[in-house]
Amino acid sequence: MSEGLLDTLRKHRSIVLAFVLAFVLFLVGTVQASGFASYDHIRTVLITASFIGLVGVGQTLCMLTGGIDLSIPSNLAGAAVLTAFLANGSSAPLIWIIPMVIGFGMVIGLINGLGVAYAGVPPIIMTLGMNSAIQGLLLIYTNGGLAASAPSSLVNFVNGDTLGLSTMLLIWVGIAALATVLLSLSAFGRKLYAVGTNPAAARLAGVNVKRVLVVPYVVSGAGAAVTGVLLLGYLGQAFITMGDVYLFSSAVAVAVGGASILGGKGHYIGTVAGAIILTLITANLNLISLGESAIDIAYGVILLVTVYLATLRLRRR
Amino acid sequence: MSVSPGALTPRGLMGRRPRLRVGVGDLPLLMAYVYVAAMTLVVLIVSPALIDGPGAIGANFSLVVPLALVCFGQTLVMLTRGIDLSIGGVISVGSALLATHLNAKGWTILPELLAIVVLGVLIGCVNGLVIAYTSIQPFIVTLATWSIWDGVAFGVLPVEGGTVSQSLINATNGDILGIPKSVWIVFVLLLIWRWVRSTRFLDDLVAIGSDESRARLLGVQISKRKVQAYAACGLLAALASIWVTAQTQSGSPDGGDQFILASVAAVVIGGTNIFGGKGSAASSMMGAIAFLLIPILVFALNLTSFWGIFFQGLILIIAVTFNSIIQTRSQR
Repeated sequence: MSEGLLDTLRKHRSIVLAFVLAFVLFLVGTVQASGFASYDHIRTVLITASFIGLVGVGQTLCMLTGGIDLSIPSNLAGAAVLTAFLANGSSAPLIWIIPMVIGFGMVIGLINGLGVAYAGVPPIIMTLGMNSAIQGLLLIYTNGGLAASAPSSLVNFVNGDTLGLSTMLLIWVGIAALATVLLSLSAFGRKLYAVGTNPAAARLAGVNVKRVLVVPYVVSGAGAAVTGVLLLGYLGQAFITMGDVYLFSSAVAVAVGGASILGGKGHYIGTVAGAIILTLITANLNLISLGESAIDIAYGVILLVTVYLATLRLRRR
Repeated sequence: MSVSPGALTPRGLMGRRPRLRVGVGDLPLLMAYVYVAAMTLVVLIVSPALIDGPGAIGANFSLVVPLALVCFGQTLVMLTRGIDLSIGGVISVGSALLATHLNAKGWTILPELLAIVVLGVLIGCVNGLVIAYTSIQPFIVTLATWSIWDGVAFGVLPVEGGTVSQSLINATNGDILGIPKSVWIVFVLLLIWRWVRSTRFLDDLVAIGSDESRARLLGVQISKRKVQAYAACGLLAALASIWVTAQTQSGSPDGGDQFILASVAAVVIGGTNIFGGKGSAASSMMGAIAFLLIPILVFALNLTSFWGIFFQGLILIIAVTFNSIIQTRSQR
């Protein structure tokens, strides 16, 4: 490492700021309620955040290229519903069901990506249509969205511990490490940032822009499917609307984490902070008994403010 | 001053008379008519009562009215290369308020309805101001305000229900001169579009959508026009919320969300250029009719109603891909 720690911190100011904000929110909660800082509660907060964090991998990549994936809700619910129905309570078939479900997610992402990259469809319209199409298929498949239970082995796996630590959190740490390597150390990461900053310049530099643009949506499709399977284990049940909250929360987490929606700036580590911040805000709002209504309003305001601040930073440069 | 029929070109911007020839780039503007004709034909063959049975026209058009209103506004916004996702929130808030706080009888409902419309305009103005004076993309701004107004709607009316003024319900049902009110409204909207498309306002929107920096050089007041476009979109969404609430006779805190996909789909099926600068609200309304014919077709073919949701998403994907390919080609 040629640059010092201070330089690195300065370069990623918004990410550092996001972690500071998360810590402040944690303190606010701790002051309000005695159990807030307990081991169990911290664990619950982090596990809740991990689901936003996992769908956030793909959303981060999409938003780095100036796009967005709105098909996450039904993609996630689809993976969970399909897993629950196919397994039908038994654990053995999960060995082929889970890879197949993730494969479906990737195919859906691939269709999104091809539409965006090769046909030039605006990501928001492509993924909005995809969300509805999958939702329709799910309703047909489940005959109206009946809930299905998770196999007990999946429930135990997601809620259990490995080496004394929550399995779910270990998975998140592992995937965060993978995402960091992909973005910071791989050639693909450099291409992705180049395309996000200036597609025309990237093309001149010899980057296959269209091929790079497909990848974020495939990753997002896979990520939504993985999250769906894990969330099925966590909740013990699959239902058609289970992915809906992740539409806003994934996008807001990415924005709060400092990724510029104008593309080309940001990092998954910021999204990790964003996911924790959102979960802590929800926990704090619940403490003062404000429910869904206040959370929706808070998400909207936070999204506007953080994106606005990001555009100010860009302009100053 | 003349405006070319169908496709709109900014007046005087090209330095030569707009071509009257219909090119490949205009093909998307005609597709909605093809979809509607094809689907109507199939329904008429398989199960004609769904379209020409007693009261069927009125019932079908009462579903067209709110979507026609919303997609009119969405067209204006998309002409400027924008998008308005917050209409979902506007309709939900309007519906929640109408079912809880506004229960007047007779003519006294008018000031209350006016309040809803003013609220819609204000919400639209806020969207427009943020979009015009910051560099945040329209889809992010309106995604945020959609979430905010959905939250407000849930605060006002946590679960579906409430009571809707009987005077309001009566006002949206029935006939005038033997023709259902719903049909009249769509007809009036078409007349309004005929007027709007000959105004300076629309020329400016088209100029902004075609090339914003060029429009600025030509002296178009970009910020003012954008605010007006989003305000109009909010106004039309508020009107849609009044109609929907009266027709369903109850309030719904998330009833507006379905109109986001529906309005974008109607505009896209109607062939408005998603890269801005070309479009027609009349075609969008035809797109709305096509979108709403899908569930009727699904019903006529004896499929489960859920197929309708699938095909509605699928038609958006297909239409948008088709339009994108044609429109990017013809721009080159």
